[in-house]
Amino acid sequence: MRFPWQKSANETRGELPVADAAHAIEVHGLRKTFGDFVAVDSIDFNVNQGEIFGFLGPNGSGKTTTIRMLCGVIAPTSGGARVMGYDVTSESERVRENIGYMSQKFSLFQDLTVDENLKFYAGIYGLSDEKFAERREYILTMADLHGRENEMTGDLSVGWKQRLALGCATIHEPKLIFLDEPTSGVDPTARRHFWELLHELAATGVTLFVTTHYMDEATHCNRLAFIYRGGIIAAGTPGEIKADLMQDTILQIELDDGEGALIVLDGTPGVQEAYMQGSLVHVNIGPVPLAESNVPALLTDAGFAPRHIGLVEPTLEDAFVHLVTAQRTDEAL
Amino acid sequence: MLPIIFIMPILQLIMFGYVIGTDVRDIRTAVVNHDGTPEAQLVVDSFVNSGYFKQVAAPTSDAAMQKLIDGNKAQVAIVIPKGFADSVHAGRTTQVGIVVDGSDSKTASVASGYAGQVVASLSKKLYPALASVSAGSVDAQVRVLFNPTLRSVNSMVPALLAFILMMSTQTTMSQAIVKERERGTLEQLFVTPIGRAEYLIGKLVPYVIIAFIQITLVFTIGTFWFNVPFNGSLLVMGAGLALFALTALGLGLIVSLLSKTRYQAQQATTFLMVPSMMLSGFVFPLESMPKLLYPISYLIPLRYILVIVRSNFMKGSGFIALWPQFAAMAIFAIVVFGFGLSRFRKQLND
Repeated sequence: MRFPWQKSANETRGELPVADAAHAIEVHGLRKTFGDFVAVDSIDFNVNQGEIFGFLGPNGSGKTTTIRMLCGVIAPTSGGARVMGYDVTSESERVRENIGYMSQKFSLFQDLTVDENLKFYAGIYGLSDEKFAERREYILTMADLHGRENEMTGDLSVGWKQRLALGCATIHEPKLIFLDEPTSGVDPTARRHFWELLHELAATGVTLFVTTHYMDEATHCNRLAFIYRGGIIAAGTPGEIKADLMQDTILQIELDDGEGALIVLDGTPGVQEAYMQGSLVHVNIGPVPLAESNVPALLTDAGFAPRHIGLVEPTLEDAFVHLVTAQRTDEAL
Repeated sequence: MLPIIFIMPILQLIMFGYVIGTDVRDIRTAVVNHDGTPEAQLVVDSFVNSGYFKQVAAPTSDAAMQKLIDGNKAQVAIVIPKGFADSVHAGRTTQVGIVVDGSDSKTASVASGYAGQVVASLSKKLYPALASVSAGSVDAQVRVLFNPTLRSVNSMVPALLAFILMMSTQTTMSQAIVKERERGTLEQLFVTPIGRAEYLIGKLVPYVIIAFIQITLVFTIGTFWFNVPFNGSLLVMGAGLALFALTALGLGLIVSLLSKTRYQAQQATTFLMVPSMMLSGFVFPLESMPKLLYPISYLIPLRYILVIVRSNFMKGSGFIALWPQFAAMAIFAIVVFGFGLSRFRKQLND
């Protein structure tokens, strides 16, 4: 808690303190329960300085709770984490001074102008006038908002809002930025543009902690962790995560009634997992070649007429379906 | 949400139906009996048996009676002069003093009307031989204190100070946090170095300032344009309104924290506003409330602040006379605002 008459850490130190920790984030045994419900179940992971770290998982898996603990907004039930070298429980204010945070809601004040939003966040982080002038110029250029300084934020298009939100979240030049599903609800062009910005930031040595449920975005990350029902079920580079699946054969089937085919395939011997991938059906048949698979016969017998059955390289999405299925099977046993 | 939509009109109907059109009864009455004879007792009984007056005290001096009125413990005083019975027996015309507190103009005008009726009926009882020309009668000498012309604006303006303060702070505060949560700015602000206390103070202060300007305007226009006489002290009124503002802000805060959308917050505020208006004595005198609803009025903070502002504004009543109302206001402020704060802390930690 800090009152206006107290000096912020920035003012007393003159400069944002640079973390001396080897890792931007170190998480050990982090756990959060709400009553009987275990939201995050004693997880461990590290995020290296300067990397883009992807934190993936379905809705309700504990992603947001983890981020909230790492940002020092809520206290862990047990375990802990150090973010930029600061303890999230005992030094949460230091943590919050040293991070940027942006969520899918683009948390800008809609009834303030672009400039007023920038001024507001500059005020919160205690930027000096000169520093603010410099950052404002940089953000307006980055977000392509020159000439729109006096427009109401609520009237901006989604892509602009998103880039302005990123600008506000990074106005104090944090070395670590949390992005909670930053691209959800944004059109593909704006998404690509946004990821270019993120790569530019990462190139300057900023660490990015990104959650997303777009699998194509996960491939932008240097490393990933996949959280499911409060536990981390896989972590590593995208390549490492896929490697686990490399010995399995993934069939890609093109046919009219994909959902109908899934009903037939699900739980059949010789089929590990069957799921929709866009309009196509993906089937993991385990480490057997296509020639020995019973899937084509099964489909024909059930009256389906597949237009095409082929092999595909496992994607991250295939890997995650596999991991989640394996997890469910474990729990069932 | 759905239940509120249907419960609200029913509650409003009950409140309006029962509160409006009910007679003012049980007016708090002090009896100053300087005579103490059976005839004097007959006067007192006539008042009490009419059902309109309820004896709450029997002060022995006019000064003690004045204190009761200052502290709002009595609204009417009946003063029976010494030698009342002697005059009756001598067949001379006698007088009964009726002192009415004019700070609540509605109750006051009703009370003086009833008192006149009661006194008129007394003449028949005390002077059975009315047929004879020489027989005297009982006269009511009505004296209205503080607001002799019984202008209703005189009791409305002080009440409006409190009511506008409540409307303004409770409504704006109830929207404040739910709006930020809807927009996501709340989530954003709590990952910045802003502290919880800073945030809350930042949220409260503008509304307090706005409310302060509003009541200053009402006060100025009320006293200068509407010529409402101000006999009170700004300190007493300010202290009461400040305590009341805390309660209203606390209620707004609670509504804002419990509501999921701004629409819900707006509904809840309206829902809370109706009983405040109906059951506090703001529009209708508390004495006209049905016995069943009356206890509810004790739970309505506006009830106490209305007594404070009206009594202070017109009668100049101070802290000593108004201590029970101040105590009630302080308890409300602590409980309501305290609950709002604890709710605020809890909600943000989960």
